[in-house]
Amino acid sequence: MKAMAVRPLLLFFFFAQVRLSFSGELSSMESIPDLQESMYMVVDGYPCVRLLNLSGKIGCSNPGREKVVASIRRFRNANDLTQLTAVLVSLDELQDLLHRHFGLIGFSPTQKFPQAEFAPYPSINYEWNSMGSGIMLKAYDFPVFLLSESSTSMLQEVADKNEKVMNGYTTSVAEFDLVMQTTKAGTHDSESCLKEQTCLPLGGYSVWSSLPPINMSLSYQSKPIILLVASMDSASFFRDKSLGADSPISGLLSLLAAVDALSRVDGWNDLNKQLVFLVLTGEAWGYLGSRRFLHELDMQSDGVSGLNSSLIEMVSSAVNDALDALKRAQDSLKSENIEVLSSNSSNPGIPPSSLMAFLKKNSLTSGIVLEDFDTAFTNKFYHSHLDDMANINSSAVVAAASLIARSLYILASDNNDMHSSVLGAINVNTSLVEELMGCLLSCKPGLSCEMVKNYIAPANVCPSHYVGVVIGEPSFKPYLGYVDDVSRFVWNFLADRTSTPKENASSSCSKDCTNEDEVCIRAEINGKGVCVISTTRYVPAYSTRLMFESGIWNVLPPNSSDSMGSVDPVWTESNWNTIGLRVYTIQNGAYDHFILIGGITVTILAYFMIALARSLITKALKRD
Amino acid sequence: MTVAAGIGYALIALGPSLSLFVAVISKKPFLILTVLSSTLLWLISLIVLSGIWRAFLPLKSTTWWPFALLIISSVGFQEGLRVLFWKVYKRLEDTLDAFADRVGKPRLFLTDKMQIALAGGLGHGVAHAVFFCLSLLTPAFGPATFYVDRCPQMPFFLISAIIALAFVTIHTFSMVIAFNGYAEGNTTDQYFVPVVHLVAGMVVKSAFARCFCLLSQKFSLLRILFLIVLKNCQLSPETALVVFVWLNVLCHACSF
Repeated sequence: MKAMAVRPLLLFFFFAQVRLSFSGELSSMESIPDLQESMYMVVDGYPCVRLLNLSGKIGCSNPGREKVVASIRRFRNANDLTQLTAVLVSLDELQDLLHRHFGLIGFSPTQKFPQAEFAPYPSINYEWNSMGSGIMLKAYDFPVFLLSESSTSMLQEVADKNEKVMNGYTTSVAEFDLVMQTTKAGTHDSESCLKEQTCLPLGGYSVWSSLPPINMSLSYQSKPIILLVASMDSASFFRDKSLGADSPISGLLSLLAAVDALSRVDGWNDLNKQLVFLVLTGEAWGYLGSRRFLHELDMQSDGVSGLNSSLIEMVSSAVNDALDALKRAQDSLKSENIEVLSSNSSNPGIPPSSLMAFLKKNSLTSGIVLEDFDTAFTNKFYHSHLDDMANINSSAVVAAASLIARSLYILASDNNDMHSSVLGAINVNTSLVEELMGCLLSCKPGLSCEMVKNYIAPANVCPSHYVGVVIGEPSFKPYLGYVDDVSRFVWNFLADRTSTPKENASSSCSKDCTNEDEVCIRAEINGKGVCVISTTRYVPAYSTRLMFESGIWNVLPPNSSDSMGSVDPVWTESNWNTIGLRVYTIQNGAYDHFILIGGITVTILAYFMIALARSLITKALKRD
Repeated sequence: MTVAAGIGYALIALGPSLSLFVAVISKKPFLILTVLSSTLLWLISLIVLSGIWRAFLPLKSTTWWPFALLIISSVGFQEGLRVLFWKVYKRLEDTLDAFADRVGKPRLFLTDKMQIALAGGLGHGVAHAVFFCLSLLTPAFGPATFYVDRCPQMPFFLISAIIALAFVTIHTFSMVIAFNGYAEGNTTDQYFVPVVHLVAGMVVKSAFARCFCLLSQKFSLLRILFLIVLKNCQLSPETALVVFVWLNVLCHACSF
């Protein structure tokens, strides 16, 4: 298509249609700021931002330091473009374009084997994500925004008006403000941008919690540990629209529901093994959470005290025990149509998951990855902004949670003749799952739902599961303003559920508790903070190749003992001043000059008229 | 719309008054003082009016009579102030004449009095233009333009600049006519000025006025005003024709 060869296109994507009209009504304005507001329409959209790694950059940015101003056209009318244009593209049109010109199919913008370099097996060409197009991992030197539903219809109207009114005087333009600091500073990879401080590394805070709480006064922890791991971060082409419902939030929901079910069971202290729940973040960008967790375990840091890495089950029979437990759990859930199957033997190994980091660390680790697919992802929208609540099924989440809860109990109790009544008492609360889905995967009610507001004061209403950047110095007791909403909610939820009830009355707190075994939950809600006995901690999640020293991030050279670190791309995100998109009408340059000349003409003409009148009046007076 | 257009709009609104200032007023220091004090007085009157009406704004635009009340009260206040202005001027004139008699210089001629009236009117016009148009022009210096639904052919700023220009002219010449009317006791002239002011104000605010209607009505009023001024100045028919032609050119220029 001819348009592709001309000046670069600036793209918008949109979907769905909602009727909303825009008018310039004078009578509703009361002041100059109101006038300015109606002249400039702010469009709400989700940007695609610039990310960098050690070898280059991906994502979108304005090409220079200035805002980009371009007139708006619809994709189907954008055939003969002679100047900078902002193009409105619908999802279907985009898919069509990618297919016809680049041979790419599918809605998933990431690779066909996501993060293949971290796989503990050599077949990196296996297509786990057959619908992967890889467009997310390319660099674009023009701004791209995903429009919300209301903005879509508004801009469609504007583009249609542009098409009709071809008088050449006025046109509606879009002004893109997506100026990235790395573009301005000329730093085009992670190492240089971290040195110049024009970018920040990706990362966040993972949460771990143990059931029952670990008694810190015991110098020697002896119980073997069963680790249940889920991930809470996703990625997408558009930074703020990464919901990741099927992958990985459905796993997180199962974990939370299983913890809730298990918390209602008594006698954990009498069991032979200990359960630890680990919710990791940063997994989508180089397994940051799992790698950093394992690193801290090796260093025996404060934040993971009580966990001994040797206690994590390395027994070779552990996998078989786990499979047996799953089978027994499935049997006890017979009435509910749940089935557990081993994966196809033609698979090269485990699918992309946090277990890869554990296996790379120690290939003898016993672990199982529970997935809802067999030979390849069934999620068509892996790492796409379309992976939303409609993509998952709450009954499937409940089924997985029930299975996990019962299997964990069987494994922990290590008791072969357990009464089915004990297992039968472990049930997952379906309404909890549905409520959590509404809180974590939609904007209504979003993070302002009852359950979340019970524990934290959320900063945003619409949840986003993008990992974000590490602000300030990473620590095990971070300043809570630097920890994102979902991490804080998970911490509070797990602390609450895994806590043992206290004999005395609980003391209220606002930050920390005096007793080492206690943590302060609900601290952000005024007057509702309580100290509970629980072992729940934050663990920072960032690349093992980075170190924060005296206010600057340094990239460490690859270490032979850290095989994952040597293939880590070390993702960073560029800084920016503001990001915005607004639409307004401009006049032709010629029209502006016409007005100026008109003004000057009127002034000069008036001068001559007055001079003439004055001379005529003086003449008339002389006559009298 | 950029700086060029912003300057253009400012010139359209205030260019002729600038020309008038340079051509006539700047020659005599007394006239400069008159313009300045007149501008100050009328600006204060507009501020007082807006202060009083602030409590009642914003008016709901469903009925027309609140707007009519607003216009009538504002025009009434200003016309009352004009009479006051005339009284002060009369006292000043007597003082100046007495002073002239004392030093043996001639008294104020008719042309002098008309020039003072012109300066007073110019002050009034400039106050109106600054208050109603120049303050709106700040967004005009930015990149965007603005079109109102009621008048989609011309940018809003152009309309407001042209209306401000019309009002400057109306006020300038109204003062001349009013002073003349008060001096000669000519009641037609005395009542003509407030009526023109009121009609002009109503036309601008009228909900039924469309773009061209609005501007052509303004300029018809201007034409009438001019005829009256010319009659007072006792100019010859040829000059009247010249001025008339100029007005017509202006009227047609705005209907592009």
